[in-house]
Amino acid sequence: MNNSKYPFVDFGSMPEYAIEVENLVKRYKSVTAVDNISFKVKKGELFAFLGPNGAGKTTTVEIIETIRKPTSGLVRVLGLDVMKNKIEIVRKIGVLPQEFSSFDNITVWETVNYYSKLFGMKADVDKLIELVNLSDKRNERYKNLSGGLKQRLGIAISLVNDPEVVFLDEPTTGLDPRARREVWSVLHGLKKEGKTIFLTTHYMEEAELLADTVAIISKGKIIAAGSPNELIDKNTKYMIVTLKNPDKKIPEMLCKMGCEFENSNRDVKIKVERNEEILTILNKLKEENINYNGLDVRKPNLEEVFLNLTGEILHEEAKA
Amino acid sequence: MNARIIFANIVIHVKGFIRAKEAVFFTLLFPILLVLLFGAIFQNEDDVHFDLVVQDLDATNTSAKLVKMLELNGTFTITKINSSKDAVEYAKENKVNLVLIIPKGYEEAFFKRMVLNDMNASVNVTYVYDPSSSSATTKMQILNSVFMQMNQNLSGAPPIISITSKSVLVKKYKYIDFFVPGIIAMASMSMSLFGTVSMNAELRQKGIIRKLATTPITRAEWILSNISYQILLSFISTALILIVSFAVFDVSLTINLWLGVFVILNVFAFAGLGMLLTRFAKEAESASAAANAIMFPMMFLAGTFFPLETMPDFLALIAKILPLYYVNEGLRNSMFFLDYTASAFDAAVIGTFAFVVFVLGLFATDWKSDE
Repeated sequence: MNNSKYPFVDFGSMPEYAIEVENLVKRYKSVTAVDNISFKVKKGELFAFLGPNGAGKTTTVEIIETIRKPTSGLVRVLGLDVMKNKIEIVRKIGVLPQEFSSFDNITVWETVNYYSKLFGMKADVDKLIELVNLSDKRNERYKNLSGGLKQRLGIAISLVNDPEVVFLDEPTTGLDPRARREVWSVLHGLKKEGKTIFLTTHYMEEAELLADTVAIISKGKIIAAGSPNELIDKNTKYMIVTLKNPDKKIPEMLCKMGCEFENSNRDVKIKVERNEEILTILNKLKEENINYNGLDVRKPNLEEVFLNLTGEILHEEAKA
Repeated sequence: MNARIIFANIVIHVKGFIRAKEAVFFTLLFPILLVLLFGAIFQNEDDVHFDLVVQDLDATNTSAKLVKMLELNGTFTITKINSSKDAVEYAKENKVNLVLIIPKGYEEAFFKRMVLNDMNASVNVTYVYDPSSSSATTKMQILNSVFMQMNQNLSGAPPIISITSKSVLVKKYKYIDFFVPGIIAMASMSMSLFGTVSMNAELRQKGIIRKLATTPITRAEWILSNISYQILLSFISTALILIVSFAVFDVSLTINLWLGVFVILNVFAFAGLGMLLTRFAKEAESASAAANAIMFPMMFLAGTFFPLETMPDFLALIAKILPLYYVNEGLRNSMFFLDYTASAFDAAVIGTFAFVVFVLGLFATDWKSDE
């Protein structure tokens, strides 16, 4: 992140960036939806914009897509100012909007073909449909597609103009785990093709799995940015030991040991700051003759990073 | 302005329309059903025919001649009832709204007057009728005129005032000739009004507008393609209505350029209204309700189904401030009365309205931004 007083001095001379956002502010009357945020997205990377609902993700992405006007700040896409080069930018980007929808009675093939004509492109419609694994649904009407198939069609549409930057606003929200994984597979394919992908999501697993860089936004402000590993290393100094289905006397033992832990369903999650602590706990378990069905040691994930940074849970499913 | 983008939009709308069976029914087939229905109901409107129940208490040759004469008049189908029955009870029991009673002594009175020249001899026929029935009133009026004519003839004096009727029309004006231009105007109005509401409010609500906002299509291209699509649909609907009307009812309508002018102006006027509506009623449901609130007064008050002459004065006055009235009138003036001066006036009124509303609608349609 750039916090310099004159952040734009070298703008335009940094072609490695697909997106540059500096001191962006968006206000609606008395509400500040985006509060002075800055970040940059490198060409060819998958950038995940992570945050809970209402954090300002969509407002930010729609400003970058030229749909909304910023209150202040500067946004450049491929070196072009969004306020001055709207038409050029629209031609160079692909967008899957949040809650994407299309014409009910139009088939998959016709829909992709229609959008390619809006761009004045002679896109290889069949190839795009194949790219998102919809070849067997090419003659299916939009209204008959499942949620996951609709999102994949939306991704195909976002590629009709062979864009340099693709914006995907919550492409997996509301999808079942299988459909979500299918969308991820498409995103992996796009990444391999060298597209710059700007992904907004509130699924930390998605960001962690797919992203080169993650920026976490909360209440209109970016609270952390970096690679998933950097964020985890920087914001969490502990490991999590999970004991599967242990005896009921374990809380008493952990209390005596002064460990920080929590009960999660039938499991117990213990925070440990040093590797030696794990050995100590295991020895104590053996000593006290406490049984458990399994053991798992892992680093914290982005969900826990977010919790540590904001004290809030990222999305409803994470509570479960 | 990119013609390929406009064409691509029209194609996608036409495909979507053809595949939506309900839309095809209500847009294209429903007006045709109305033409068939109203045409059938009013097909024999000039052939006025009533049932008439007669009780002949005189039962003579002269009274029988009167009944025969009423029958030959062509207006009535006569049912005779027995003289022993109580006419009032009969009317109540059989839900008959009028019974004509020829009294006993009918022939005798005729004989006295015509042969014996007894000027005091007269006869009194009786109407037993249901005052709540409008057709009973009509029947009595017809019978009154028949009896007046008989009195006149029997007196032997030639009439002082005689009547000659001369139609101002070069051809006979049937109800269906009135109705078809109205239904053309109504169909084109409803498809452009609801079409625009659907394009703007429903697509916005579904998020399609948001997606289109990320493509190079401009507001002008979007609006122009929608208008072109609605004009195309209106012409298809008009052609179908006319084909059915000519084939089934042999309507006496003339097709000329004015038809195209009025259909196009109608589309612009109501598409403009639709754009204004969706500016203020952003949810698809409320916009659709507002469109209905506009459409129904137009349908029933603007002389679409019934002539203004049948309305109370204040309603007729309201009709003249409704834009559809000028489309209805303009179409009738050009298609039936062949009065092109009147058509030009109607076109000027609806054209001015369409221009104002459409320009306001253009400014109101801020489709890419949801600030």
